Amino acid sequence: MSEIVLKNVVKAYGTTPVIHGVDLHIASGEFCVFVGPSGCGKSTLLRMIAGLEGISDGEISIGGTLVNDLPPRERDIAMVFQDYALYPHKTVFENMAFGLRLRKRPSAEIESRVREAAQILQIDHLLERRPGQLSGGQRQRVAMGRAIVRNPKAFLFDEPLSNLDAQLRSEMRVEINKLHKRLRNTVVYVTHDQVEAMTLADKIVVLSAGRIVQVGTPDEIYNRPAAKFVAGFTGSPPMNFLPCSIDADGAAILLDGGIRLPVPQARRAVCSKLAGRRLDFGIRPEHILAEAVGSDVATVPAHVQLVEPLGSDTLGLLRIGTGEITGRFAPEAPLSAGATIQAGFAMNKFHLFAPDTGDAIRDPGW
Amino acid sequence: MAAAKKYKLSKLERDERRLGFVLLAPAAALLTAVVVYPIAELLANSLYSFRLTRPGYRFIGLENFTFALFEDDRFLQSVLNTAILIGVTVPGALVIGLGLALLANQPFKVKWPVRLGLLLPWALPLVFAGLIFRWFFDYRQGFVNWLIELAGFAPPQWLSDPHLAFVALCIAIVWKSSSFMALILLAGLQTIPKSLYEAAEVDGASRFQQFVEITLPMLKPAIVVALIFRTITAIQTFDIPYAMTNGGPGSATETMAMYIHKTTIDFLDIGYGSALATLMFLISIAATSVYLRHTKRDGGRN
Repeated sequence: MSEIVLKNVVKAYGTTPVIHGVDLHIASGEFCVFVGPSGCGKSTLLRMIAGLEGISDGEISIGGTLVNDLPPRERDIAMVFQDYALYPHKTVFENMAFGLRLRKRPSAEIESRVREAAQILQIDHLLERRPGQLSGGQRQRVAMGRAIVRNPKAFLFDEPLSNLDAQLRSEMRVEINKLHKRLRNTVVYVTHDQVEAMTLADKIVVLSAGRIVQVGTPDEIYNRPAAKFVAGFTGSPPMNFLPCSIDADGAAILLDGGIRLPVPQARRAVCSKLAGRRLDFGIRPEHILAEAVGSDVATVPAHVQLVEPLGSDTLGLLRIGTGEITGRFAPEAPLSAGATIQAGFAMNKFHLFAPDTGDAIRDPGW
Repeated sequence: MAAAKKYKLSKLERDERRLGFVLLAPAAALLTAVVVYPIAELLANSLYSFRLTRPGYRFIGLENFTFALFEDDRFLQSVLNTAILIGVTVPGALVIGLGLALLANQPFKVKWPVRLGLLLPWALPLVFAGLIFRWFFDYRQGFVNWLIELAGFAPPQWLSDPHLAFVALCIAIVWKSSSFMALILLAGLQTIPKSLYEAAEVDGASRFQQFVEITLPMLKPAIVVALIFRTITAIQTFDIPYAMTNGGPGSATETMAMYIHKTTIDFLDIGYGSALATLMFLISIAATSVYLRHTKRDGGRN
């Protein structure tokens, strides 16, 4: 068992708290991704799990052992650093063997474990090289090799792909995914890249300003965001927001500029309770359709401001009433800048947020 | 393989090159006047019998050199003295300098007192340091003997005993030069990324193991540079023994540079002094070439 449990974990520098009481349960074998903007405390939280930062209050346990006061070397974890932190004066083999050597494993075992890990990561031909002679992607593999040879309770990754170029990053993302499917270790992975979070995670933890905003599967985070912050952080381009109000019987959402979006029958009960309130209406770019077809689609006249063809899809910046939104369309969609189209809103997919707190107004059925 | 076509420089490139030579000329002239000419003059004088106390300027070939190397015991003694000072004070300053550098590299809240403490011995003029230590080891008024007497022992004659004078000199030189070592090593320490220590900590290394496995190997280039720099300057050791013992008792603590100084300035033997200076110059070149070879190899590897 190598679950990681955080109970009311606090980090403060002097009197300034940077992590405000985090509770989290990471199951054994789970791939957990901490995601959030710069400075949200995700790296600090990871380093607290690693033991590289002290804990001001609360409890952290790894595999059932309370580790609050244990130094990193006694926590049985391995970490992959953003700059890889390979020992430049040691060969790849020595880099990977270092942890085992310090634990006084017999040299035959070290040899076989390093070779096995090197084979998994396809770096067995590099074992005699030094880090300075390797490319960025190879260094990244060595850093992961150094982590997996020890077979620790948990792997901690601190933005491991952010120093790689875009293509290598997506390659290594796939590698990490395969590696986890193969080894099934507990992983805590920090990134600010929502694509990494969505593709790798069993569980995503969205952090903002030292607090957890939402914990959920990638599907929950994307489709049922708990807050405007989460909705605006996921997806590329992220969710569109427009100020709105709801008419008296909950039958329609009224956008500024006199636009009326009829609410589908299934959602009316909830909407009717919100009648008269000012809210933020949220809708993802892919739920805006170039042609109004199908049921539960509201038709809205939209003025096309800008068209961005990406090849696989086309993004269109649309002016609707007094607001601007981005839609994601099929490449063959009839869009041209300056034209006015009848855009369709998939009204069974919209979200509502309280403008003051940013909290999502959710209903279990949505 | 086909012969590569050789392209001529364009007019623009030729003009640029000419401008380059013109701009270099003043520096080249200055270097010739203050470096090349004195060295040439020194080499020339070393081949002559040339004493200001006696008339005449007579070519004697390598006679000055053969005398120095095979007959002049005082010169050989000064070479040995210098070698001993190098052998003791360079490693001594390295060990103490490394300790100071590690101390200064600690995350102190207020950094300047430590940095100042490091810089002060380095910034102090050599003769001044020599005078301080001369008083320090003074038989009657010295701080060291005051302590020894306080502890109830008989005070030794530090500077007039040949062996103790060496000990006192070594202490003074180590004190003076370890701050230089420390500064170079501190610069080296600060280039070691913090994440290496974190990785080592996660890998399971204790503080001591981190020092042996990370700090020392990562610091090796800085250590080599510091050692070579210090050795080259130690070959020329002059000021501190001059101020503390003036080579005494007798010529027991006389260094090469001091003997050259005495030969030339006190005995006014320009020819012989030049020959001795040439020998010291050759030794310095040998040490420098070790350094150059080291840096070259380093450059080739990276």
